[in-house]
Amino acid sequence: MDDNYFGSYFRRRIIFVIMVGFFAISITQLFNMQILEQPSYSEKSDENSVKPIYQTAPRGVFFDRNHKVLVGNKPSFTLRITPSTYDKKLTPYIEAILGSNPGYIDRILKQNESYSKFIPRRIAKDVSFKVIAWYEENASKLPGVDYIMETQRDYSFGIIGSHMFGYTKEIPMETYLHRKNEYDIGDNIGFGGIEKTYEDYLRGDKGIKYMLVDSKQKTIGRYKNGEEDQATVKGDDLILTIDKDAQSVAEEAFKDKRGAVVAIEPTTGEIIAFLSSPQYDLQDFAKVTTNEVWRELNNNPDKPMFNRASMSTFAPGSTFKMISAIAALEEGIIDTNYRVTCNGGFQFGDRFFKCLHVHGTVNVQTSIEKSCNTFYYSLVNKIGLDVWSKYAKKFGFGSKSRIDIPEEAAGIVPSTDYYNKVYGKNGWTKGFVISLGIGQGELNVTPLQLAQYAALFANSGKSARPHFLKGYTDTRINQYVEVKPQTYDIGISKKSFDIIRRAMYLVVNGAGTATNIRSDELQISGKTGTAQNPHGKEHSLFIGFAPFNNPKIAIAVLVENAGFGSTIAAPIARDVIKAFLIKGDKKENKNLAASTNIQEEQIAH
Amino acid sequence: MHINYKLQDRFDLAIFIPMIVLVIFGLLAIYSSTYNHPTASGNFQKQLIFAIIAVIGFFITFSLPQQLFKSFAIPVFFMSLFFLLAVLVVGKTIYGAKSWFGVGGFGFQPSELAKLGTILMLAYWLTYKSRDINNLLDIGVALAIGFVPIMLIMLEPDMGTSIVFAIITISLIFWSGISLFGLFVVLSPGVVVFASLFGVYTFIAALLLIVAALFFFKRDLFNSVTVFIINLSAGFFFDYAFKILKPHQQKRIASFLDPSADPLGSGYNALQAKVAIGSGGFFGKGFLHGNQTQLRFIPEQWTDFIYCVIGEEFGFLGSVLVITLFLIIFLRLFKLSSTAKDKFSVLIIIGVLTLLFSHFAINIGMNLGITPVIGLPLPFLSYGGSSLLINMVMLGIVMNIYRNRKLHT
Repeated sequence: MDDNYFGSYFRRRIIFVIMVGFFAISITQLFNMQILEQPSYSEKSDENSVKPIYQTAPRGVFFDRNHKVLVGNKPSFTLRITPSTYDKKLTPYIEAILGSNPGYIDRILKQNESYSKFIPRRIAKDVSFKVIAWYEENASKLPGVDYIMETQRDYSFGIIGSHMFGYTKEIPMETYLHRKNEYDIGDNIGFGGIEKTYEDYLRGDKGIKYMLVDSKQKTIGRYKNGEEDQATVKGDDLILTIDKDAQSVAEEAFKDKRGAVVAIEPTTGEIIAFLSSPQYDLQDFAKVTTNEVWRELNNNPDKPMFNRASMSTFAPGSTFKMISAIAALEEGIIDTNYRVTCNGGFQFGDRFFKCLHVHGTVNVQTSIEKSCNTFYYSLVNKIGLDVWSKYAKKFGFGSKSRIDIPEEAAGIVPSTDYYNKVYGKNGWTKGFVISLGIGQGELNVTPLQLAQYAALFANSGKSARPHFLKGYTDTRINQYVEVKPQTYDIGISKKSFDIIRRAMYLVVNGAGTATNIRSDELQISGKTGTAQNPHGKEHSLFIGFAPFNNPKIAIAVLVENAGFGSTIAAPIARDVIKAFLIKGDKKENKNLAASTNIQEEQIAH
Repeated sequence: MHINYKLQDRFDLAIFIPMIVLVIFGLLAIYSSTYNHPTASGNFQKQLIFAIIAVIGFFITFSLPQQLFKSFAIPVFFMSLFFLLAVLVVGKTIYGAKSWFGVGGFGFQPSELAKLGTILMLAYWLTYKSRDINNLLDIGVALAIGFVPIMLIMLEPDMGTSIVFAIITISLIFWSGISLFGLFVVLSPGVVVFASLFGVYTFIAALLLIVAALFFFKRDLFNSVTVFIINLSAGFFFDYAFKILKPHQQKRIASFLDPSADPLGSGYNALQAKVAIGSGGFFGKGFLHGNQTQLRFIPEQWTDFIYCVIGEEFGFLGSVLVITLFLIIFLRLFKLSSTAKDKFSVLIIIGVLTLLFSHFAINIGMNLGITPVIGLPLPFLSYGGSSLLINMVMLGIVMNIYRNRKLHT
């Protein structure tokens, strides 16, 4: 070939073409990348280096009616694991430093398996500073592990209130799927009680902090000096109707008892105290709740998770006698002169219904004062089942009170229809009805309903829907919004109420069944009761209100398996009433502003 | 103007000015990529000192008598081979390769000196009296001159530099006028080796192609069989050589063949480099304002990935300017190769051109994501004293040839 010589033209041309060709290719590629595809590369570059850090807003705080903190917030460290980059070989070390049992991390990861593995899982909340220091020292050897600082519920304000407050928990998958716009996976959501009902008030608005991160996801600084950041908006603080002193006395009294206390402000329906005992430790839910904790709570024979105050139903016993009495008075079946002789019981057909004592001649007031059964055995048949049932329902029994927590039972008030449905048209007898007169039989009520019932006697038939929320501070407009009570009147004459109220006064202050709690200072009126319990010893009951002339508090106390009402339940009622009515000079922290401004900072590493 | 003309007559500004501008670009990029860096923030000052030393080196070689270079060829070549051997024994290991001599705070890379030595030696051998480039023995010796340093550098191991040596060797043989068949004999093992990377079937296909080509050239049976055996053994030899490659090098090859195989390794760097350059846009993000660079998304960016600092912070304008400056140097070297007075000088210029161009093409290609990730510095810009010094010294030699082009003709 003729071009096989040193530096031939052909060879020069090849070298030239290679050089210029490569130059042309490079320019084309640069044009493509830097001009045509610049937006997409820019986006990638920003995605790379600008990391949005979502900051959960501190939840609203709960205050009692006197602005004392009930449930607060506190900053805490949360250790997280992102499964996509996590090395399972690290598990034993992390478990050792956390002081948790072997297998703990595996279980948490398994519990959350259904989520994307790129989403960090909260492994331990409220971890000690020692753990964080250890993490910081070894961060480079701990891929997929990080921690954030977030706020956590603080329950260290002296009362427990587990059933009314409820708890917060990581949002479950199915809820998340419905509320994707509002929540991210791993966010906490209210799970029961007030936390659930007022979730939308409490959660506040998330903040976003844009951070610059380097290739190792290490934070270098703020993006655009924080110009684009969005501040968190703290959730609304709730002012609850609860009186911390009264609640605290109730909790103290129930330390070793099972039962419930509900106290209500009679005119407004404001719940002053609300207790179901035994309680559970809300602090357990503030941490990462393991299946063990759940299992333990659910398997406990005392059923600590069960809200007895508004969910447990039982026959109310003698506390229900006022229903028959007021129905008979209102319907004109009896008047104050109507008398019955108690010989210790009542013969109906071949069945003898017992009274506890031989009361002799009894009128409507003494029948309540001394709790005579005989009086009511005969009376209820005179009233008739459906009229009696109508009056029971007027007082709120047999239906939900629409209290502002999700856990509530309606109870049962039998009627002709009810018995027909359950036993068939001819399957039941009048004997069924006789025991209803003394609050036994197939009657099912809740402590909450009994408290509201007491409130209606206290205020002579006028009250309001029972509720926990007195008002809230709207954080966005920084204003206190008061919640108006929803009042109602059950339409029963004051005359009838006066007779019954007088009788209830005598129960405590006359020769009645609860004179042991008599107090001139408090002027308590009430009624004792013993609820039959098919599973064991009877439940002790007391309902009442005080002071007599201008009632400020109505109350129902249930003590499970405690026997006669006056000995156990009535003194507890008295103590709670006293705590509410007579305020000492105790100076407590009333500083509302200081506790609402708990700062939250979330740091990502 | 007269003075300028006289200066240009003895000193080619068309090479010198782009070279200095590139060095300045390099210094800026090094400053930016090591800005506030915990361990590398001293690199800018070091590179500034290297640049001054390199410019001095440039002027020294520029002013030496031209005849010296021919007599330097053999001693420099063997000295560099000696250093290459020595570095394997006593060298410092940096980034998994034994390619450095540590002297005080500075290191020296003998492979850089070997570039100079090999170019001088090849130019010397290929232009010695009446060399017949199509003589199998002469080609064999020429190949051996290139092959010995390639083997030694592969043992360090430094694959990128070995490739550059191979390209230089082939270019110089090519320039010397090797016949198409000769070139086929030299290149075909490379094709077979490359094909064998993709597996047995492509390897067999490549061998079949070689057989077809041999029929086309219609050489005698002995020649054809010899060439085929050379090819076959090249394939097997490479298979063996691949196994002695360090795992990170095998990974690099694998990552080129299948980019998804290693998303966080060398493929990650290539991706981040592309993102850096692409996000620079037309004007760039501004000096010290590239987030890819400043947030250290690309490790050791001041060495092999220096170009994406330019791309990100100086944008399309800066990127094009840099490669245009390179093109000016290359075209100028190319032009000078035809004005040099003797074949030895021509081959030196072609050798320097090939050296710089192969570094440039492999590095820019890697940064732009059009060639595999092969660790090679970008001449004049990347951080590194030995490379900067040798590159400038080689341009000094070219400039020396330019200065003397009109003598004795």
